[in-house]
Amino acid sequence: MGSLRTFIKDVRGAKTLAEERSIVTKESARIRTKLKDDHLPQDKRRKNIHKLLYLHILGEKTHFAQVECINLIASDDFRDKRIGYLAAVILLDENQEILTLLTNLLNSDLNHPNRYVVSLALSALGSLTSPELARDLYTDVESILARSTDEFLVKKALQCAAKIVQRDAALLEIFYPYIESILKSHHLSSHGVRLGVAKLCQAAILSRSQYEYDNYPEILQSLVLNIPEFYSLLQDMNATNFNPEYNVNGTCDPFLQVELLYTLRLLFELAPQETERYKDKLNDLLTQIATNSDGTKNSAHAVLYECVRTIFALQLEQSLKVLGVNVLAKFLSGKDNNTKYVALNTLLLVVPQEPHAVQKHRKFVSRCLFDPDVSIRTRAVELTFAILDSSNMKELIGELSSFLKASGEQDKDLIVFVVDHLIELFELHAVGHDNWAIDVMVDLLKVVGQHIALEKVSEIMMMINNLRDLDHKSKLIKQVLQISLGKSDGGVSGDNLGWKLVSVWCIGEYGDILLQNSYFLDTELTGYLTLLNGLYSHNVKIISYILTAALKLSAKIQNPACNEDLRQIIKGHMKDTNLILQAKSSQYSIIFNQPAKQKQDVLGAMPFFERKNKNGNSKSDSKPDTKIQEPNLLLDLLESTPASNGQTKNDSQTLASIFGDQPSNNTANVATEETSHVTIPIPSDAVHAYNSSDMDVSIKVDSVAPSEAKLDLYVKAHAPIKNLQVLAAVSKTQKLVMGTLSNHSIAAGQVSRQELKVTGSGKLKFRIKLVHESPTGTQIEQFDHKLDQSL
Amino acid sequence: MSIKFVICLNKQGVLRLIRVFEPFPGDAASNQSTIAQIYKLISSRDHKHQSNFVEFSDSTKLVYRRYAGLYFVLGVELQDEELIYLSHIHLFVEVLDAFFGNVCELDIVFNFHKAYMILDELIIGGEIQETSKDVILERISYLDRLN
Repeated sequence: MGSLRTFIKDVRGAKTLAEERSIVTKESARIRTKLKDDHLPQDKRRKNIHKLLYLHILGEKTHFAQVECINLIASDDFRDKRIGYLAAVILLDENQEILTLLTNLLNSDLNHPNRYVVSLALSALGSLTSPELARDLYTDVESILARSTDEFLVKKALQCAAKIVQRDAALLEIFYPYIESILKSHHLSSHGVRLGVAKLCQAAILSRSQYEYDNYPEILQSLVLNIPEFYSLLQDMNATNFNPEYNVNGTCDPFLQVELLYTLRLLFELAPQETERYKDKLNDLLTQIATNSDGTKNSAHAVLYECVRTIFALQLEQSLKVLGVNVLAKFLSGKDNNTKYVALNTLLLVVPQEPHAVQKHRKFVSRCLFDPDVSIRTRAVELTFAILDSSNMKELIGELSSFLKASGEQDKDLIVFVVDHLIELFELHAVGHDNWAIDVMVDLLKVVGQHIALEKVSEIMMMINNLRDLDHKSKLIKQVLQISLGKSDGGVSGDNLGWKLVSVWCIGEYGDILLQNSYFLDTELTGYLTLLNGLYSHNVKIISYILTAALKLSAKIQNPACNEDLRQIIKGHMKDTNLILQAKSSQYSIIFNQPAKQKQDVLGAMPFFERKNKNGNSKSDSKPDTKIQEPNLLLDLLESTPASNGQTKNDSQTLASIFGDQPSNNTANVATEETSHVTIPIPSDAVHAYNSSDMDVSIKVDSVAPSEAKLDLYVKAHAPIKNLQVLAAVSKTQKLVMGTLSNHSIAAGQVSRQELKVTGSGKLKFRIKLVHESPTGTQIEQFDHKLDQSL
Repeated sequence: MSIKFVICLNKQGVLRLIRVFEPFPGDAASNQSTIAQIYKLISSRDHKHQSNFVEFSDSTKLVYRRYAGLYFVLGVELQDEELIYLSHIHLFVEVLDAFFGNVCELDIVFNFHKAYMILDELIIGGEIQETSKDVILERISYLDRLN
């Protein structure tokens, strides 16, 4: 059996994968046999484990050697212990039962006269702190903290103490006094020791919710008293003549600075009142660090970035927040993509607090839209929407359009995101009827039509349909068709389905405008429909639109040849394998044969279209009395033909009776709409949590597993609630995943359900914030709720 | 603020070092596929024009850096400060470089246990424990002689 080196060489020298496998399997089997030999000399045992660790890197199974690690640790030879501990931390994890075998060995090694052995034991304990080991060995760690003057051991013992407190908060009682005593000790002043102190302090703060004795205020007080010490450490590191040993590219120990800043942040967050008197000093210190660190290196940026995170996490003074935003803007303006990435992430969080300060730097944000890194582009898009308001809308949407034009296939998700949000935004700001908004959308359709869902294309049609400026409307649709019919070049690619869909729709709706003064010839329009009908015979959506367009166009043209072509298009689908198309085509061919006059009345342009939100409530403010609830699209279309045609009503009734019993092609839509009306019952075992004039809130626990709980929150409205948003927070030891909210708008007496999933440990308690719009404006309600269960 | 794992891969995706502080989800068999996913994710990124951070799962973010033919990757919490972890990687590489004297991939292949020893003096249980390059170097060169 050769050395480790030969083994590695053999593996590397293998010419084929099969040869490598055979070498590895053979060696693995050989090691397995050797491990069973009780009389193997120690140096051979070490060699075996070295090889085994190499096998571990290769991804081989190594579980059979776990006991051997323990055997080596038990040896008196330092070399055996060293490889034994190394193997233990690599091959074991804290969930394995074999760790109990380690307890006694660690206990004796932590008290070993040789400091290197103690150090090995501490390193192992730091990596494998199971709750059992924490409870069994804390006294050994404590005695090192109490007695040792060896900085190496103390720094490791502090880190172990922090881990122990994380595993069992009750042990904080034992360890917290060492934070102060070691921080003030003159013998133990290396940065390693201070890192350990910071870690222990963080653990002390973060374990508060699990700490069950009532002396926590006392502990907190002793933590707070260390603040001046932390300040002076930070100040020293930011002085000009710091210790060169810790110089990292011109910054003094960024690691320690970041840890100390983070510790301060946690402390101020946990105890706002107790730390109040230190706050001014903190403002000064952060200002000093933020203005003085002008390094261009990552180390300086790391410290600056932590400063900024602290400023916003603690909601410090306005002037500091502006300073913070400026630091981030400087990050954005640089060339380093790492700082751009963190700056965008942070700005996204900061926008709600400081919208104007962030808006000022929108040029830098826009520049990031064109960054080669997709994760930066994504965030820049999000941030652009976050800072967008009515004052900068045109400018920023202009930037977004240029972004979309420059983007390609790889940005498909982002494109969909932008278009969705633009549509929402236009609706929100009620500018959807403005000429420029529609120009933007149509312009965008040229480049994104092949990426976005056809439902979104319908939204654009709706916008065109609802355009009030008729001159502009006719100009716009003429432009669209110019491009579609190849008369002008709009840079629309051949696979832009969205664009084609809009063109088809325009031909159907606005055939009369297009044909005016022979701007287009009837043969051109008919030809276009026939062409697409042939090209996309498999695409149900497009064919549906073509059928409708063909029918509508037939009422507007006289040329018998064209009319015959249109009839052929419709007839061609009467035997379509798709049932919807077949039904549609059959229905349409009946209308097709009606007298011209009646057809014209029935097939006029669409009326102003009311947007329906999911609950079927009309959102638009212009015509609140119009309700479009008929399940049949065709009826919709017929009944609201413009009022200028006096006799329409009768005709449409005739037609309605013809089609009254036909299966409707949008039953699916109706069904989904109806489900949202279904009343959600509140289960009888739900616990009442909160009530106000607007709502009652109850919580029901669905399941509690050891580290995961599922809950439902029921909101029952007393008065109509619109745009409900549920925000929730859990304690720091837990993580919360918000599920779906069943309804964002609730009628009086109705219920909406929010699903919550909590993972982690500790008692289940929540802070819930409910934001909604009532007739009197936006309402925010907040409450805390504790449940009996815990994780 | 805590490191979940440290891995070192070469440009072909072959694992050179792995130290896990917070066990990967799933069993040991899925470790290999997790590593393959990590490699796929970072090797596809342009190391000049893209950031050194990438979200890996809904709880883990990767902070990585390529030095010549080797990727050093840290898995950290999503909300952790990314920039300082780059400095962690750099410090580790600097110590490796000083210890082996102009370190190359082969040094790490044949002396992986020494690289682990260095890592153990730099990081304990996922937390940084020492920030001075000199202190670490002095310590490991002493430990190295204890044979």
